[in-house]
Amino acid sequence: MAELTGWLLDVYAGEQGLTIWLLTDNGERRCLSQTFPVTFFAASQAVRQGLDKLDLPAHGSTSDLRAAWRWLSSQSEPLRLARAERRDLFAGPIPVLSIEVQQPAHLPGLFRRFSAAFPNLTFYDADLPISLRYGAVFGVFPLCRCCVEVQGNQVKTILALDSPWDLDPEYPPLRLLALEPDCNPSHAVPKGIIFSYKDIRYRMPLEPVRALLANLKSILRTYDPDMLLTSWGDTWLLPKLLELSQANPLPLNRDPSALITRKEQRTYYAYGQVIYRGAQVHLAGRWHIDKYNAVMYHDYGLDGIFELARVTGLPVQTVARVSPGTGISSMQIMTALRQGVLVPWRKQQAEAPKNLFELVRADMGGLVYQPTIGLHSNVAEVDFVSMYPSIMSHFNISPETILPGENDPQTGLPLTRPERGLVPTTLQPLLQKRIAIKSQLLCLPKWDPHRKRYQATASAYKWLLVTCFGYLGYKNARFGRIESHEAVTAYGRETLLRAKEAAEDLGFEVLHLYVDGMWIKKPASATPADFQPLLNEILTRTGLPIALDGVYRWVAFLPSRLDARIPVANRYFGVFQSGEIKVRGIELRRRDTPDFIRETQQQMLAILAKAPDAEHVPNLLPEVQALVHRRLADLKRGRVPPEKLIVRQTLSRELDAYRSPSPAALAARQLADRAAPLRPGQVVRFLYTLGKPGVRAWDLPGEMDCRTIDVARYSTLLERAAETIFQPFMSEPVETKLPLFSGLYMPNKTPLLQEQAAVSWISGMA
Amino acid sequence: MGRTLPSSTQNFLQEQASFARFRRALRRSDQVALDDLFASARQHLAAAAYAANALPFETFLLAMLLEEHKQVMRLRQLVEADLHITPGDG
Repeated sequence: MAELTGWLLDVYAGEQGLTIWLLTDNGERRCLSQTFPVTFFAASQAVRQGLDKLDLPAHGSTSDLRAAWRWLSSQSEPLRLARAERRDLFAGPIPVLSIEVQQPAHLPGLFRRFSAAFPNLTFYDADLPISLRYGAVFGVFPLCRCCVEVQGNQVKTILALDSPWDLDPEYPPLRLLALEPDCNPSHAVPKGIIFSYKDIRYRMPLEPVRALLANLKSILRTYDPDMLLTSWGDTWLLPKLLELSQANPLPLNRDPSALITRKEQRTYYAYGQVIYRGAQVHLAGRWHIDKYNAVMYHDYGLDGIFELARVTGLPVQTVARVSPGTGISSMQIMTALRQGVLVPWRKQQAEAPKNLFELVRADMGGLVYQPTIGLHSNVAEVDFVSMYPSIMSHFNISPETILPGENDPQTGLPLTRPERGLVPTTLQPLLQKRIAIKSQLLCLPKWDPHRKRYQATASAYKWLLVTCFGYLGYKNARFGRIESHEAVTAYGRETLLRAKEAAEDLGFEVLHLYVDGMWIKKPASATPADFQPLLNEILTRTGLPIALDGVYRWVAFLPSRLDARIPVANRYFGVFQSGEIKVRGIELRRRDTPDFIRETQQQMLAILAKAPDAEHVPNLLPEVQALVHRRLADLKRGRVPPEKLIVRQTLSRELDAYRSPSPAALAARQLADRAAPLRPGQVVRFLYTLGKPGVRAWDLPGEMDCRTIDVARYSTLLERAAETIFQPFMSEPVETKLPLFSGLYMPNKTPLLQEQAAVSWISGMA
Repeated sequence: MGRTLPSSTQNFLQEQASFARFRRALRRSDQVALDDLFASARQHLAAAAYAANALPFETFLLAMLLEEHKQVMRLRQLVEADLHITPGDG
């Protein structure tokens, strides 16, 4: 027996039991194995629904279970069958058939045949990631420090030495090899591959293939990396290398006995957006992460991926490519496994019937107010800290704790059971750690090396927490139930209204309410300390933590573009007392805005931000106006580099499916003849040009003639963006009204604006 | 994120659209006044959503009335201030 200490890198089903990769403290990469039988369950539907007592005709009845037992006994895989009792989250303890599979690798194939043969049975724990099962039994997780007792290569015991909730875990010294083609393969055909390891970096031409493969082989052997970090490795590079090396395989896998796993590309629709996920290539014994196919890589990077692997228990390669929704649902599965609760194979919780009036009351989202249009000074923005997760945790909202149709007679809020629910149990440590990290970040100086990782962690957690709410009501979530989703929004509305009432009771004017945030002002309240009593009062009235996001020197809430009388939620810009600019809903936040327009808006705001208070903002308007004139002149004289004019748009459907093609579709068509055609959810880059078809794809080969750029179109875009910034400082709404009303109806004009001289910038600009 | 029921904004736009024939037959100056009424109701969509009235137009009418009354109060204040400043002229 020997004892090893190190980091757990990976766990997957191998030929014999589990394969476990350990990076030991003395730098060895050990490939270990462990016997690990896995169990899944089958129950008759009648039992689950409590219908067996009603003597209904057999439909998934106990006789089906007996037949299933006979069928399983005749299979070739070594199994252990037993009768057992387990807890269903909603139905409580139920009798089940327990099926223990000796080899985890056998489970998927066996279950596919079994579920096809017995479609009327209800299945549990049937499709769980093996790393979660392993984590639930031994308390270990990817990248955890652990102590392993081995006999030869067989793991006898494994013990975690740290916890996913540690703020500063010790990370393993990983060997990281980067590979990337010399250009984006969906835009042009790459000619070479760039490889880098620490400070070494060089380019290998793709031709001749023999030399390339020999080089790659020796690189992989020499450096033996723990991770391949690639650009377009999932979608082009690795598939290409696999194709080239068919006759003479490359040692991409570190585990020679395992296969390379490939997954198809797909496009799906989520949160109102078309999302594209490229094909995937997973390696065994070493990780492959494709920067351009990893979810949110630009947001939290490798630090975030490692942190997510630790808290969700999903393997590093998987967690890099799945949505935060899958992450949070894995954490719920882990909680269920630890509590001995069955994990349904498919969701079965249907919505309870409601009458029209109940539906009208329940089917609502968060409160979104129409802000008071115009320029305001000394405005405080206060936000509830992770509002929806805090509500779930504080009020114990979970699919199984909701009592459908039962409301508090006084507040009308949904009632819950007192036992701690599965979702709040899962969320609690996550919320606590995020708050701890946020408070650390507030204290750390700007240069501290921990900052980057803390920020990545906070950002990764934010997404887990955000999707946790959505998954309560998602039709495919395993632990979802629409009533619990509705309960969260109901508590959210109540909380925000209580906050509003508290603010008004203390003499504040409420300018805007947005789901979990509130914008307020009061004469003579200008410092953070002036708002503290209100924060305390809100905490007392709602029980939920609320924080001051900051005090704006000034903030402008913008009206609708179509009708200046109509306010729009979440469209504003302002400057905090720290000088930081905050912007929502205007051009510079949009992903398809060309850099030239975005930079102009940023520069305009930077000039305005120099004003110490709202009264001084108008003095700066001439300077802003001059800037816009200068930028327009640059555009007209061809002094703007074409790359600053690139528009980036996401394709929303297949190219053939456009009835009247959008500029993005037209540009994508120009590229369709060359590289792999772009799919829905992928981004196309183009410029607006003169004549037909009015666009030119940026990635078309050949020189671009700058004289063909549609200057007039970009001028319009620039003027419109400038107008957005000027709007709050203009004396009249953009459309003029009939004389009868122009004097009378001035919705929500602040006195500040009425006293100031009008700025007529449009006439000056023409 | 499917919703079973239309949002209050959708309700509002539907109600407004259902008066298209009425609006068309109005004089141009009256059309502007009507548009103003609808625009004023639109400022209270959040409250209308929270009220969750089965007949949303009732709430929108009340919202229009609310804005009208605010206007009356504002004008009354102006008139009264005017009267106080120059009592001799009254």
